[in-house]
Amino acid sequence: MIRFENVSVTYRGGVKALRNLDLTIEDGEFVVVVGLSGAGKSTLLRVLNGLVPATEGSILVDGTEVVGASARTLREVRSHIGMIFQTFNLVERTTVVNNVLMGRLSTVTAWRSTFGLWPASARAAAMEALERVGIVDKAYVRASNLSGGQQQRVGIARALAQNPTLMLADEPVAALDPVTSRQVMGDLQRINQELGITTLINLHYLDLAQEYGRRLVGLNGGELVYDGQIEDATPETFSSIYGREISSTDVLVDHDQS
Amino acid sequence: MTAPSSPPTTWPTKPRPRVSILIGAILAIAFTVYSARQVDMRFSTFADVWTNPLWEKFWPIPWEWVFDRRNVINPLIETFQIAIISTVIGCSIALPVSFAMSRLTTPNSVTYYSSRVVMNIVRAIPDLFWAKLLVTAVGVGAFAGSWALSIFSLAVMVKLFSEDIDGADPRPLEAAKAAGGRHIPSVATGVFPTVFPAYVSYSLYVFELNIRASLVLGLVGAGGVGRVIEAQRQFFRFGRILGILVIIFVVVVVLEQVSVAVRKRLV
Amino acid sequence: MAVSQPTPVETRPGRPLGPRIWRWVIAVVILVAAAWSVTGLNVSVDRLLNASGDAWNVIKRMWPPAFSIEIKRGVIGKVLQSIYIAWVGTVIGAILSLPLSFLAAGNVSPRLIRLPIRQVFNAIRSVPELIVAVILIAVTGLGPWAGALAIGLHSIGTLGKLSSEAIENIDAGPIEAVDAAGGRWISAMRWAVLPQVLPVVVSYWLFRFEINVRASAVLGLIGAGGIGSELVSQLNFRNFPEVGAVLFVTIVAVITIDLLSSALRRAIIQGGAGPDQSRSGEALEDLTGMSLA
Ligand SMILES: Nc1ncnc2c1ncn2[C@@H]1O[C@H](COP(=O)(O)OP(=O)(O)OP(=O)(O)O)[C@@H](O)[C@H]1O
Ligand SMILES: [Mg+2]
Repeated sequence: MIRFENVSVTYRGGVKALRNLDLTIEDGEFVVVVGLSGAGKSTLLRVLNGLVPATEGSILVDGTEVVGASARTLREVRSHIGMIFQTFNLVERTTVVNNVLMGRLSTVTAWRSTFGLWPASARAAAMEALERVGIVDKAYVRASNLSGGQQQRVGIARALAQNPTLMLADEPVAALDPVTSRQVMGDLQRINQELGITTLINLHYLDLAQEYGRRLVGLNGGELVYDGQIEDATPETFSSIYGREISSTDVLVDHDQS
Repeated sequence: MTAPSSPPTTWPTKPRPRVSILIGAILAIAFTVYSARQVDMRFSTFADVWTNPLWEKFWPIPWEWVFDRRNVINPLIETFQIAIISTVIGCSIALPVSFAMSRLTTPNSVTYYSSRVVMNIVRAIPDLFWAKLLVTAVGVGAFAGSWALSIFSLAVMVKLFSEDIDGADPRPLEAAKAAGGRHIPSVATGVFPTVFPAYVSYSLYVFELNIRASLVLGLVGAGGVGRVIEAQRQFFRFGRILGILVIIFVVVVVLEQVSVAVRKRLV
Repeated sequence: MAVSQPTPVETRPGRPLGPRIWRWVIAVVILVAAAWSVTGLNVSVDRLLNASGDAWNVIKRMWPPAFSIEIKRGVIGKVLQSIYIAWVGTVIGAILSLPLSFLAAGNVSPRLIRLPIRQVFNAIRSVPELIVAVILIAVTGLGPWAGALAIGLHSIGTLGKLSSEAIENIDAGPIEAVDAAGGRWISAMRWAVLPQVLPVVVSYWLFRFEINVRASAVLGLIGAGGIGSELVSQLNFRNFPEVGAVLFVTIVAVITIDLLSSALRRAIIQGGAGPDQSRSGEALEDLTGMSLA
């Protein structure tokens, strides 16, 4: 379970990216976060695993306090949180499996991983994760030789290899075309259902949010302005989150249904 | 994940590293080990190096000696003079030679190939070899050093600059020639203006290079502050050498700052 | 100088006087500096006139090169000796500079560690190898090991600077991915940074080897062994045909190594899909170890 209590984040330079946020997420939920650019969506995810320090408040992840935690505690918390990035953040010059093994770093002593002496269990976990996203046959291909959708699947596999209880995805499909976007969203939804991993996704496109989300969280100017089931959300809900009318740039054009 | 969703046998196996890489790695290691033996590599050097009585001779630095004009400052000025004159001569001669050495602007293939061959050979001989040779030919002193560095900076300059000419836009040259221009005037109006900034910037690099080189020319008798180092090391006056080193250090650091600043203003 | 007086601002359009004036000022400054340098060199007119004749004489006397004498004296072994010295120096520089370059890179190392290490790199780079060798030879004794050490020490400075700059230019995304997965600093360096920079860094090692071959030949001139020592002993006895043979062997060795190494570098950089470097920029680094940044 995740519990934000009165969390605020002020960046150096004075930008207040989150303001007194309260939010509770139960195990196994699939939550979609929407909001305008600059609303604080990325900050919400990053503060959760301590990549961005909270300036105020308390964040409990499965009972562990993240705000003000020691480096050691943070590593421990992060080892159970998978993260998926908009730009994939892969090392393109190395193989797919080496990228996925990066998800096992917290389970292996530093000297062993430094010399590439991965235990068999780590290698097996990496392969299983690749299998889960359907690209195990690419394990020994250089990451740079994969398509964008395949690269994001490697990113997902790297997070899965951590055996996470929580998955954070920061606009995971923003760099992908509509068809691939749906496939990747489908992967994330399936993983949430099959493995019961709590999932928190930032999305830019409202139609994707409605199609895949179950719970919807809306941010505006760093404040929580909406929290409810996705079925209850109407176009008016979205325009009130955004503070403006919904336009065609807010939806992913539907190629595969036309 | 607890249970694999399909038997591990469908997983691809790790491909063996490419044979060429494997052989390359083995050769590199073998060559390193062999070379280390050939140069009498031994770590015991480090064991007794600290107890070497010679270290005491490094301290104190005799600053009065170092700052006496005749001892270090005058040879240092000579060093600058060598660097300046060599840069001017080397870069001036390099200008026409570079145009002869570029495929774009060369007047004919004989000039092209002969200038390339000669310049590659000149560049393959290290700068201090040139200095030592010229000291033997024309006598000890700054004259031999200036000559050596002129030759070497010519060779460096033409390599850098001719490649920039190669990359220049060929269309202005074609236009000038199509209008009936002769070769040299066509190059001068069609190519020269576009590559001139590169020429200036390389000249500055060559000057920097020449200052560094001229600091040590004296070790082979070719003038400049290196001659003082050579003389002092004969008598194990390491304190004095350390003093000179401090001055060289300051010169190089200042030089680097100045040339970074100048280059920034040029670009 | 009178010419450097600033010109009135109201110059007509189409006739920019400012830049032209500056061009003349710079030309005059260069001429004056050159003239001052020549007078400082103390060359008498007749020495200037005779010098080219003397040099030509020496060149003529090198022909034909005395290959058989030199081969009997083991000139091949001596040029190999220079190559071994350069190689060992390069390996020492590569091994020691690699970890240090991580600690010197602005994006992965804290200020407190980074700044002193950079200062060490700068200090090492600013002292010519030859002078390091002069001191080392005094302390460790004459010989190839002193030469290799001097070259290795200098290479730490140059390679460390270049490699840390390569690290500063990487994509930070993978580092963030390791952090987010609960990895340690060392793991981020090994798995997120190293694969990104290794091709570039290895090509820098090869650059440095090419430069070091020249440097180790030169170190022989002051007694570190190898081909330089052979050149000195033959020149001192004015055995010019033998000198011709030594030069020939040197030229062949240097050009061969340059060709091999640059072919290898190109293969590594292309295989690693590295940044596209301009050819003359590469040549410059090649010769001087300075980058065109
Ligand atoms: N590292 C940082 N330093 C300073 N300000 C930052 C930093 N990161 C984000 N901000 C600011 O904090 C605010 C919230 O940023 P955040 O990245 O969380 O928004 P977002 O909702 O993810 O936007 P987008 O949809 O563009 O990704 C913005 O005003 C942004 O400019
Ligand atoms: Mg964002």
